[in-house]
Amino acid sequence: MRSLLIGMTGWLIAAAAVTASDQVAEADTPSFRRDVMPVFFRAGCNAGSCHGAASGKDGFMLSLFGYDPKGDYHRTVNEMVGRRVNTAIPEQSLLLLKSTGDVTHTGGKLFDEDSEYYQTLYRWIAAGAPDDSDSVPETVEVILSKQRFLFEEKGAKDRLRVGAVANDGSKRLVTSLARFHSNNESVATIDDNGNVTAVGPGDTYVFARYSRFTIGAEVIVLPPAEGFQWPDPPATNYIDELVFDRLQKLRITPSELCDDETFLRRVTLDLAGRTPTVEEYEAFVNGDRDRTAKIDELLADDEFADLWTALWAEQLRIVGGNYAPAATHVKAAMSFYEWIRKQMRSGRPLNEFVEEMVVASGSNLTNGPANLYTMMVHGPRFEPKAFAADFSQVFLGVQIQCAECHNHPFDRWTQDDYYSFVSFFAGMKRKPGVEPRERRIFYDTSTPPMKHVVDQRPMPARVLGGIEPVSSDGDPRKELARWLTSPDNEMFSRNIANRIWAQLLGTGIVEPVDDIRVSNPPVNGPLLDALSKRLVESGFDLRTLVRDICNSRVYQLSIQPNASNYGDTRQFSHAHLRRLRADVLLDSVATATGMNASFPGFANGTRAINYFPIVGGDTGGPNYGTPFFKTFGRSSRATVCACETNTQPTLSQTLHLAVGETVQKRLWAGGEIKKLVASKDTPEQILDELFVRALSRQPTQDEIAALVEAVGESKNDPSVYEDIFWGLFNSTEFSFNH
Amino acid sequence: MNSFSVQRRLSLLILSVLVAVLIWLAPSDMDAAEMTGESDHDMPVTYDDHVAAILKRHCWQCHGESKQEAGINLASYADVAGSDELVVAGRSSASRLLEIILAEDPVERMPPENDPLPKEQIALIKAWIDSGLRENSGSKVEKNRGIEFRPTAMTDLEDGPLPMPEGLSPVAPRETLRPFPVIALASSPRAPLVAIGSYERVELIHTETQETIGLLAFPEGEPHVLQFSRSGRLLMVAGGRPVQNGVSVLFDVQTGKRLAEMGDETDVVIAADISPDERRIAIGGSGRVVKILSTETGAVLHTLVKHTDWVTAVAFSPDGSLLASADRVGNIHLWDGENGGVIRPLAEHKASVTALAWRSDSKLLASSGEDGLIVWWDVAKGWPLFSKPKAHPPKRPAGVYGEIPNGVLDLRFGPAGELVSCGRDQKVRVWASDAKETKVVRIENDESNANIQILPLQSVLTFDGATAITGDSAGILHSHAVK
Repeated sequence: MRSLLIGMTGWLIAAAAVTASDQVAEADTPSFRRDVMPVFFRAGCNAGSCHGAASGKDGFMLSLFGYDPKGDYHRTVNEMVGRRVNTAIPEQSLLLLKSTGDVTHTGGKLFDEDSEYYQTLYRWIAAGAPDDSDSVPETVEVILSKQRFLFEEKGAKDRLRVGAVANDGSKRLVTSLARFHSNNESVATIDDNGNVTAVGPGDTYVFARYSRFTIGAEVIVLPPAEGFQWPDPPATNYIDELVFDRLQKLRITPSELCDDETFLRRVTLDLAGRTPTVEEYEAFVNGDRDRTAKIDELLADDEFADLWTALWAEQLRIVGGNYAPAATHVKAAMSFYEWIRKQMRSGRPLNEFVEEMVVASGSNLTNGPANLYTMMVHGPRFEPKAFAADFSQVFLGVQIQCAECHNHPFDRWTQDDYYSFVSFFAGMKRKPGVEPRERRIFYDTSTPPMKHVVDQRPMPARVLGGIEPVSSDGDPRKELARWLTSPDNEMFSRNIANRIWAQLLGTGIVEPVDDIRVSNPPVNGPLLDALSKRLVESGFDLRTLVRDICNSRVYQLSIQPNASNYGDTRQFSHAHLRRLRADVLLDSVATATGMNASFPGFANGTRAINYFPIVGGDTGGPNYGTPFFKTFGRSSRATVCACETNTQPTLSQTLHLAVGETVQKRLWAGGEIKKLVASKDTPEQILDELFVRALSRQPTQDEIAALVEAVGESKNDPSVYEDIFWGLFNSTEFSFNH
Repeated sequence: MNSFSVQRRLSLLILSVLVAVLIWLAPSDMDAAEMTGESDHDMPVTYDDHVAAILKRHCWQCHGESKQEAGINLASYADVAGSDELVVAGRSSASRLLEIILAEDPVERMPPENDPLPKEQIALIKAWIDSGLRENSGSKVEKNRGIEFRPTAMTDLEDGPLPMPEGLSPVAPRETLRPFPVIALASSPRAPLVAIGSYERVELIHTETQETIGLLAFPEGEPHVLQFSRSGRLLMVAGGRPVQNGVSVLFDVQTGKRLAEMGDETDVVIAADISPDERRIAIGGSGRVVKILSTETGAVLHTLVKHTDWVTAVAFSPDGSLLASADRVGNIHLWDGENGGVIRPLAEHKASVTALAWRSDSKLLASSGEDGLIVWWDVAKGWPLFSKPKAHPPKRPAGVYGEIPNGVLDLRFGPAGELVSCGRDQKVRVWASDAKETKVVRIENDESNANIQILPLQSVLTFDGATAITGDSAGILHSHAVK
């Protein structure tokens, strides 16, 4: 069978020209993936607000930032033949007319006819708008002309150039095809051509994006050298060396060391989760005031383990229900919680602690760690995608869920990475056990891997950043756990180190702690490296790292800023005011008043830090446990986000402390104040103790004078002291760690 | 199978300056720069002659018939000049329209995110305002757009000679880099004649001699739809330039004479048909409405509003009683062919409908879609008589997973109720009247460049049903014997 060809009018006239252009086509025809798609990216065509939106714009859809080249080619060339791309009269292609603003375009004019972007598109269309052969070189790395910019003064300029390396080894300059942004435009800006301009003192990063890569260069804009003299404070350990090195470079003078009373309160709140008792205060202040010894004492106490149990329980979203279709029965929650507490108390290496959970199988009622698969994502059914996203957020500090629908726009994660990673959990099953409350957790080795959303390719389990899928005997979680907790896996050790640091200093070296990505680099890279290395070398020992941090001068700096560092919010040049977590606040009130709280479902006298929400019905929805926790922003277990624990002040918090029952009830109950009044001789002595109880310090001369006057003749009336005590609890000094 | 090849007759391509000028006398979308020359002379600047073209090109997309951003419609004289809010007669300095196109702040200036309008065009608008907002030159009443056109009486249908072109005027060649893809193709219902759309022209080819026997100039742009009238005497050419203009033109097939021009759209006409009595045409496109226009006056008789996306196909039933229209999200609507009343929706397609075709008895409608489906509809009941999923399934290349585009791109009925279709599997398929597949032909890729896929875009059966003619994306026609 042969078909008859009837040429069209234009054919003969153009025939000679077409033949000629075909001959040179091989050499200089732009490639769709290598040349044309970067123009779409640079001009913003495939951005989320334009044709990269899920359903495109005005009927033309491109994949967001180009994750689906095959589909993009089809929609550009073949979806409506002759319209977007007109190979007979290239300049009449809507692709060109729209982007130059020659015809109405919602996105406006993007470039001129004499720009290289126009020329690239034109030449590609004129060559017949060909698709690529299979062997088109793929960008595998993006490099920058400079890693670091150091500006001495505002207004100074420099240029960033961007190069791309392909998998065939070829390199080319892509500055004109990259997109740029600055993380802090009050420090430095970067324009479309990569020109960096210093705006004000500080440090930040500028980023170039090209293909699926984001890569950053550090920018430091120095304050005037005039008047700055490095005080050279003594360094206790490597932490001080690295922080001070950074501060010196940035011309920031750190604050002085905090006083002993402040240190005692700070370190007790951070390690025991409550304020110091009167006895602890007196033992420390009247003793040799040995800070290192105090740290060791607190680390050895079970309260330290309880605090970290609470922090993990929050991350792993432990919640118990009486009726629990989501496999979150109270009994399972208790078994998980107690298992964590046991690990924390015994000082189990954190990598082993995590590994045991990751590979756990069996009954959720008797095998605590298996509840990783029931608690971290609450739901009647196990969902591998939701679980994998939360898993990486908790254990790696990395958010990969963007890549479910498109390659991560500001990080390295692709859809391939995402679906391969989800495959580790594809076979997780929770089957009802012998009793209704029980679930049997196991991995069904017959489950096929996840399928890629774009082309339905099977994606065998592969670790994040890995190249080859893991080989496994059926349950790939063993390989996952081995990789995850390996000393070589910096993503894991840096995440844990950063979270420990953030717990003690208030902010992470990467902040937020659960959004580590290329475009959110650490504010002090060497510091995070050192902490991570130390964690690994200590055998993933929590207490070693906490001990190092608490012993550092950096941790013990005063909250009082100086002229040089008052504006610094990220380089740890002074301590920061931190509002107390809800449970720590409640335990501090209990410590000061001597009256414990009681929680439904828990033994009388249970500390707030040891409480987790138990609910009557199922465990859906946010669960705070008690109204106090809701008011003061304890984690509701609704998500794994580090932002779940909220220490933002609210009006209802102030009202609750002023007139709510938390403080009031405790002041009246138990007759503590009455006993105190009876045991002391003078109002001054009574006032001293009230101050130590609530604020862990002696009152000042002015405070004493004013309060003695307020007490007046009622020297032996407990209700006057109750009022004063109430006033102390309602002071901002009480509700902050400072 | 019998197949053959031909050489086209080249004599028609010889450029004749004189004839070309005659052809260009037909009104076209002149650009404003040319008009400025005129305004210097005694001709007054008017809305119809000058301003409308500028507003159409730059403004109507957002301030026109289909969309009125900020409640402003610039697509009619009454709306522009009717109140003082946009223009004040004789006072360009007090006219908001001029203020906004002259604004220095790019955030405020119209058109948004674009260069300012060319100086000449701004000067024209200013002159128009200052000279008193004339609607048109003199007292000219509504133009009779179909001045020479009279519909064919239905009784004449079978009379007279076969409507074949004879001695058509030559058309100036239009150089293109390569042939324009065949996005429009039609077969005469009574004669061995097909019409093929090319860039700014239509080519008429004798299906038996395989020779080009005439060219029709279409300076308005790309013909997007070609349709012979039921008598075979008229050829409707609808199209335009994407996002610039859209129009529908009627030609006399025998003489090549331009009879009427209808529609004045801001985007190319994508869908069009002519009623069997030749009195009405229906057009649709990115404006999401179907318009029914009179061929005698060019007036819009009905505007049908129901589609939520681009209108991709319209078709009058052969008895003229019904009009079917379809859109890019898969909806089909049936309307009364006379008064535009709503009849019923036909719901089956999940993606863009690519073509609609009526069987000659008006009882059966066929539709094809990008979802790979061909549906034979029972129009009276409104449900599918027969539905063929994966009608054009492409072969899955090794190692490729997931969805691969499998759309059906076109379909037409033949005289005996048989259907021809083409699709993204690069095949032309013929379906008998009982929907059984009777023939499959593959359109081969151009071997010189494997990275450019050749797609059959349009396929028709000749009037006698003997031959399937297919046009592809490389601008090549293919002819296959069917019987």
